[in-house]
Amino acid sequence: MAPLLEAISIGKTYPGGTLANDGVNLSVSAGEVHAVVGENGAGKSTLMKILFGIEQPDRGEIRLDGKPVNFANPRDAIDHGIGMVFQHFSLVPSFSVYENVVLGSEPRNGITFDREEAIAKVRALSEKFRLAVDPLPPVGQLPVGQQQRVEILKALYRDARILILDEPTAVLAPQEVEELFVAVRALVAQGRTVIFIAHKLPEVLEISDRITVMRGGKTVGSVNAKDVTEDSLATMMVGREIALRVDRAKGRGDLACEIKALKLTAENGVTVAQDLNLKVYSGEILGLVGVEGNGQAELLEAIAGLRPIADGVVYLNGTSLAPKTVLERRELGLASIPEDRIARGLATGATIAENLIATRLADKRFVRNGLLDLKAMKANALSLIERFSIRSGGPGYAVGTLSGGNMQKVVVARELSEQPKLLLVNQPTRGVDLGATQFIWKSLTDARDGGAAVLLSSADLSELLALSDRLVVFYRGKIVAAFVNSDDLTAETLGTYMLGLSSQDPETMRAALQ
Amino acid sequence: MSSTSPSRWAMISRETGRALTAVVIALAVALVVILLTSADPGAAFQTLLTAPLSSNRTMGLWIDDVAKLTLTGLAFSLVFQARQFSMGVQGQVYMGGLFAALIAMSPIGTTPLAIPVAMLAAMCAGAVYGFIPGYAKARFGASEIVSSLMLNYIAILVVNYLIRAHLAPAGTGQLMTAKFPETAVFPAILPGTRFDLGIVIALIATFVVWFLLYRTSWGLKLRLVGHNPKFAEYSGIRSSFIMVSAMTVAGAFGGLLGSVFVQGRAFGNLAQNFDGNLAFEGILIAIVARSRPLAVPFVALAYGYLRQGAQLMGIRTDVPTEMISVVQAIIILLVASSFSLPGKKFFTALLGKKSASVATPEAVK
Repeated sequence: MAPLLEAISIGKTYPGGTLANDGVNLSVSAGEVHAVVGENGAGKSTLMKILFGIEQPDRGEIRLDGKPVNFANPRDAIDHGIGMVFQHFSLVPSFSVYENVVLGSEPRNGITFDREEAIAKVRALSEKFRLAVDPLPPVGQLPVGQQQRVEILKALYRDARILILDEPTAVLAPQEVEELFVAVRALVAQGRTVIFIAHKLPEVLEISDRITVMRGGKTVGSVNAKDVTEDSLATMMVGREIALRVDRAKGRGDLACEIKALKLTAENGVTVAQDLNLKVYSGEILGLVGVEGNGQAELLEAIAGLRPIADGVVYLNGTSLAPKTVLERRELGLASIPEDRIARGLATGATIAENLIATRLADKRFVRNGLLDLKAMKANALSLIERFSIRSGGPGYAVGTLSGGNMQKVVVARELSEQPKLLLVNQPTRGVDLGATQFIWKSLTDARDGGAAVLLSSADLSELLALSDRLVVFYRGKIVAAFVNSDDLTAETLGTYMLGLSSQDPETMRAALQ
Repeated sequence: MSSTSPSRWAMISRETGRALTAVVIALAVALVVILLTSADPGAAFQTLLTAPLSSNRTMGLWIDDVAKLTLTGLAFSLVFQARQFSMGVQGQVYMGGLFAALIAMSPIGTTPLAIPVAMLAAMCAGAVYGFIPGYAKARFGASEIVSSLMLNYIAILVVNYLIRAHLAPAGTGQLMTAKFPETAVFPAILPGTRFDLGIVIALIATFVVWFLLYRTSWGLKLRLVGHNPKFAEYSGIRSSFIMVSAMTVAGAFGGLLGSVFVQGRAFGNLAQNFDGNLAFEGILIAIVARSRPLAVPFVALAYGYLRQGAQLMGIRTDVPTEMISVVQAIIILLVASSFSLPGKKFFTALLGKKSASVATPEAVK
């Protein structure tokens, strides 16, 4: 059978000389889920932008149904039945779901917008493709997973035969991923074709029929999903064997951080977490498991000093943290890798050297009499760039010029440049490629072996299972289960507690909490 | 730092190119306006382009403007780098001018201390006036844009009232004070022109602001707060202190500009509405200079030239004064907007096609 969509030796050089695509081939058959995987900077996004008409290729050809096509802009691509859902949605938050879906091609009744028909059409589409979403509420009030469905509906409303999903799972919680996969299967069952860009290999293997692997702007090859394993795929992506496995802690040390009867509230007074009792020992990683918004992030923020403690206490080596400022907590040995590197963890407009000392402006090595020691700053930056292999133009370059993985390494480098006593980590490898993930994991376990007590939160269960020595599950602001990590513990088990489907008996929980 | 040079030079050349293109377009528009309104467009356009250089006196006018534009540009750059949108420079200029004048007219005014003490008084007055909206924002959440704009009106009207009712020589009906004693007025560098101490002060201030921003930890904190307030909070930087202090220090420079105004050779006294809205043009200077203090004097030099050229065109030729304002506004619009050239894509496509079509016949042969 002739492929539905083909890209043949596509080449694309960006102004500035970046060779983003260099002889890329992609062949997608009708009715399949075709995954495109590769590290950050492998050229996946560029290829998708070319397929959707946002960028034009310098070389090569795109064929649709065997006929060469040329998309001057996304409008062209949409007219040819291609739809794309970006990682960052393009929705109008104050408009209702159905308004967002039909925006730009509204059904009309004479000259007026036919709302009834729009609602009916959206309902029909969402039933047909099992993308359950209420057409009436404003999009801004919906959770991310549902917003994504609205984006998919938008493409389907415009009769997309081929749907490109750009890292669709990056923003989703595990059960939302499952729901997305149900929808993807429904789409394929009804003859649509899905191109799926992704990072996380287990998901790719689960959902796709064929997989095209990209590396360094080239296609490495295409394989059937059932013929490969996670390891062989990872090797294809990175070009060398990589072990995404880490050594467990050799044994834990003394009690470092103790949390007692902690209660946290949001600014509007709503309780976001309560009855939190935790002990974290030096030399161990304690994983905080939970669907986002169940209190894990808030706990880390409260310990870091970015959120007030409503009730209860947090001790670090016997000192109560509540009355301490952020700087005082850092002096006690606290380090923190925040959830969102761009929003919280970095000043992207400032230089790498400046970002690397921003949390240590009271340090005599860098600041004396209120004056910056530029030499020391530069030397510090050079040594950390070397130690954490941050790929950059140099200490004087703005952090915003780095790739996501290297930005995250800047955060990690700053927080781990000195051995912390308590390390708070939230989403350490979100949107980070495999090579950098491996490096960051190694840095975390090194910090642990150096004697840090680590609190780790992540939306990626496999990351939590790989790194944690013990795990606690958060559900609706409470700790509902606790485990000592072992090979028997699976994501599925954790999942049932994360969704509140099962509960642990208090004895087991107490034992694992000690 | 050698490692910074590639990106820095690229940035400088890109930004300079952008500003120059804007100036060229603005001049083209100015030419059209002149063609439409002047009987002798050639002479008028030439006046616009060359008048500031026509005599020592006009050069003095130009340099005087450059000094003042530099100072107001620096004051705005400081608050903009902290991402505060305080518009209060004008009010600080009036307060600074008032206090400089009070010192100049006091017994100190006839002593050699007159200039430094008056400048210091002006800076303190400006700093206090800059502090108020900063404190109001940190303490009560008042929008600094609104409060600083309102404070401008208060300062202007209070100063105007004081001049009319108390400071102007009694019974003359003048709307200005008597001339200050010569000891309180900046010495001219070129005698008989406005080329005076002001430009020296402006250049020193440029260096000081650059040093504060890029060599002190306060400056780094200020810039980090400006880049990303949430990151600053996470790093343990006290954003509200930085915010208030940035607005206070910027206020001191605004106040200094007030002293440069009233003690400069252009005035040598305190007059009603003395700033002629120049203080506000610092916003333009800061935006074009991307709030980089070292770029501010260069932008002020170029913009001051056009500004003076336009004013001299208004005086010396038949181009109506209203049109001068139109041309000035167009220059501001073009230079300030982060525009990209329309049709740039079209041209590159055209050039790309051209080279491709040239290449193809070669290949065929």
